[in-house]
Amino acid sequence: MLNSKHLIFLLYFLAGCLLLFLITTILFQYYVALGSLHQVLAAFTSDRILSALWLSITSSIVTTILAIVFGVPLAYLFAIKQFRGKIPLETVVVDVPQTFPPVAEGMIFLLMLGPTSPFHINLTFTFTALVIAKFFIAGPFVVSTVARRFREIQKSGINLTARSLGANPFQVFTTVFIPMSLTDIAAGATLCWSRAMGELGGSLLFAGVIPFKTEVLPTFIALDAKTLTAEALAATILGTTASMLALVTFKKITLKGEKI
Amino acid sequence: MGISGSGKTTLLLTILGIIQPKKGRIVLNDKVINDTPIEERNIGYLPQDYGLFPHLNVFDNVAYGLKVRGASKTEQGQGVKEMLALVELEGFEKRKIKEMSGGQRQRVGLARALAIKPDLLLLDEPLSNIDQITKLEVATHLKNLFAKLDIPIILVTHNHEDALFLAENLAIMNEGKIEQIGSVKEIMNNPKTPFIKRLLTPFNAT
Repeated sequence: MLNSKHLIFLLYFLAGCLLLFLITTILFQYYVALGSLHQVLAAFTSDRILSALWLSITSSIVTTILAIVFGVPLAYLFAIKQFRGKIPLETVVVDVPQTFPPVAEGMIFLLMLGPTSPFHINLTFTFTALVIAKFFIAGPFVVSTVARRFREIQKSGINLTARSLGANPFQVFTTVFIPMSLTDIAAGATLCWSRAMGELGGSLLFAGVIPFKTEVLPTFIALDAKTLTAEALAATILGTTASMLALVTFKKITLKGEKI
Repeated sequence: MGISGSGKTTLLLTILGIIQPKKGRIVLNDKVINDTPIEERNIGYLPQDYGLFPHLNVFDNVAYGLKVRGASKTEQGQGVKEMLALVELEGFEKRKIKEMSGGQRQRVGLARALAIKPDLLLLDEPLSNIDQITKLEVATHLKNLFAKLDIPIILVTHNHEDALFLAENLAIMNEGKIEQIGSVKEIMNNPKTPFIKRLLTPFNAT
């Protein structure tokens, strides 16, 4: 007979299996890199990789700034306003972009803002295309994270107390919602930036892979991976490590020793 | 006063403007305020959890209403000073909200609500979050404060002891309606319905 001790052990065993799988996958790149350390280290200083890294970082920063500027107001709208079809709409714009097949996203942008654009706007093979592609996939992280916090604030009723003191809705937004959500805005921004760093499909088709112009780490890896060169490995390590550092550092700063 | 679900808080929030009434008029100082936005009603409100802004210190909490109304720094300073004196929290300006006790937080909430010189003060269950040990002290403080104010005060409670200790007049609510309204003495001496009689009886008396 299985007693509760065995069952708890089973839970821990399953948890351990998952942990092992995830950690192994994440750390495996470093293990392989150790095998060809010289080539990988040399690749880190290759101009093309450094340019891809620089373009990845800057386009992701621009994406994140835009995500805050547009995403926080949208989060406010979703949290505060009651209107028909809000839940399906929020699901479509926040969750669905995550589930798009990477290349599908690129296809859509190519048709919408490419050479045959019905709006007569052709942005293909530009830095702007890079930002737009990343924004579509990564921006919603700001919306979802901030909307969750805004809903909490609204539920507490503190916004209405502020109204009773004479604040109009816009003043409540700037003096209550924003300052009470700074950590969450930063959390959404960190997630957004990390996701933007990893975006592939839109960059690949819409921004193209032009070295020193629109080539970013994920597209470099995608095109170079088949040959499994040291460069591809170096680019992989740079991309994943940057995201990991951003996320872990952020958690550390915001939790400040709190136990969760 | 009434049991939970009797509509006390709903009534309070309707007066405040958070809930829109389906019918009837809300009149304050001979003016119908049904269509007046919350921020223009000039009603002081202390929610059950005091609703203090956790990201602001005591000074900025109390000054909030003055600030959003465009008061100058000097006016804000004066207003806060006056209000903190009123609730006996002088010297607490720089204090963070999380460093204060429940009773002190309540006084900050009151100072903040009164700083806007409201025409009416609404309190939602002000004693329900106060532990039994300090309740008498907090209640006495409230009573003394009420005596200093010359505006009408509506306080909602489910506890008849709190009501008898703090109120001059009682309105007993039941199932969304006011069942009896009058001075404390009147209602105590002459409860109109068996429900009110039971409501006002201490739990250990039969």
